[in-house]
Amino acid sequence: MKPHRRKKLGIILFIAAGLSVAVGFTAFALKQNINMFYTPTQVAEGEVGAGQHFRIGGMVKTGTVLGATDSLKVNFVTTDFVSDVPIQYEGILPDLFREGQGIVAEGEMDAAGVFQASRVLAKHDENFMSPEVKAALDAAGASADNHMPGGTN
Amino acid sequence: MWVWFSKLGSPKWFYELSGKWLPWLIAAMVIFMTIGLVWGLVFLPPDYQQGFTSRILIVHVAVAGTSLAFFPLMLVAGTVTLVWRMKLADMVAKHAAILGAWFSFITLATGSLWGSVMWGTWWEWTDSRLVSMLFQLFLLLGVISLRSALEDSETAAKACALLSIVGCINVVIIKYSVEWWNTLHQVASPVSLDPTSPNGPQFWIATLIMIVAVYLFLSVSLILSTRNEILERERRSQWVQDLVLKN
Repeated sequence: MKPHRRKKLGIILFIAAGLSVAVGFTAFALKQNINMFYTPTQVAEGEVGAGQHFRIGGMVKTGTVLGATDSLKVNFVTTDFVSDVPIQYEGILPDLFREGQGIVAEGEMDAAGVFQASRVLAKHDENFMSPEVKAALDAAGASADNHMPGGTN
Repeated sequence: MWVWFSKLGSPKWFYELSGKWLPWLIAAMVIFMTIGLVWGLVFLPPDYQQGFTSRILIVHVAVAGTSLAFFPLMLVAGTVTLVWRMKLADMVAKHAAILGAWFSFITLATGSLWGSVMWGTWWEWTDSRLVSMLFQLFLLLGVISLRSALEDSETAAKACALLSIVGCINVVIIKYSVEWWNTLHQVASPVSLDPTSPNGPQFWIATLIMIVAVYLFLSVSLILSTRNEILERERRSQWVQDLVLKN
């Protein structure tokens, strides 16, 4: 390689490396801002300020979904298997909403410690399987949807 | 190796060689695309939660995965343009940006359709996977407009190459966004060889065939548009004149 070409290649590599480091630091600094939601544990630890509008993400705790019979009001508990947060919502839920399913809810905490959601979204995990495989896994007692939403978080 | 490398930079050589490859690539593309689509849209088992809607993964995953290849491709082409001033590399980069924008758009469109059914939303500005993918589309549109904004083709080639190299960082962000931050978008599905476990071969073999098909489609499209570009830019050269007279 000719010297002037080597020099050019060096400059390009230097720019690329410098920018990567800069972007990496920025992303790290903005970590909580880039996160889509807080987990119930983060909420329990007081990471969210009072009266703040935010999103919470967790699993719908099994056996906690209580729907009103005369309105679209629904109460349920979201959990990350460490902390629980009760949620109240009035509106149409996504088809994927069910017990044991990951959800993301948007709203704020009221004085009683209930999350008043204005929106509820369903989150599906990374496991695709046919109903037959799911039935076989359930029969074997291995719960395949026992995953935290948000992967490693 | 250096002889081969400089030969690669010759548009005439590339035009002749790619002409020989094209029929094979097109045949392979048709075969893989047919098998992948029929398998994926007719025979893929429904997901236990999402039902038949999950079949959209056949298109979405294949196109999304392939769309991440454009910036690395433009990084290589851009580096060759800047360091060795090979014209062919710039021609490839030019059309990779246009194709990449389409791939990014299809990724966003199919993902949005899927999300509207499963998540209950078409779009979430707070999801880093979604936003970083949109950013890739904007970056590619930026590269395309940068080229058309600069009149001098050599300056344009250099500027686009630099932007492509910088834009590569976004590919890493797209890839790891679902792991670094919590998102509505799922994390990457791990493949499993065991047909009785989640993400078994009944799901991923069809997806893999589609990924190969989409990569072949990308290669064919890129070669075809690069060939056009070669003829356009080299139209005054003897070999192109001969080619036109011969046909």
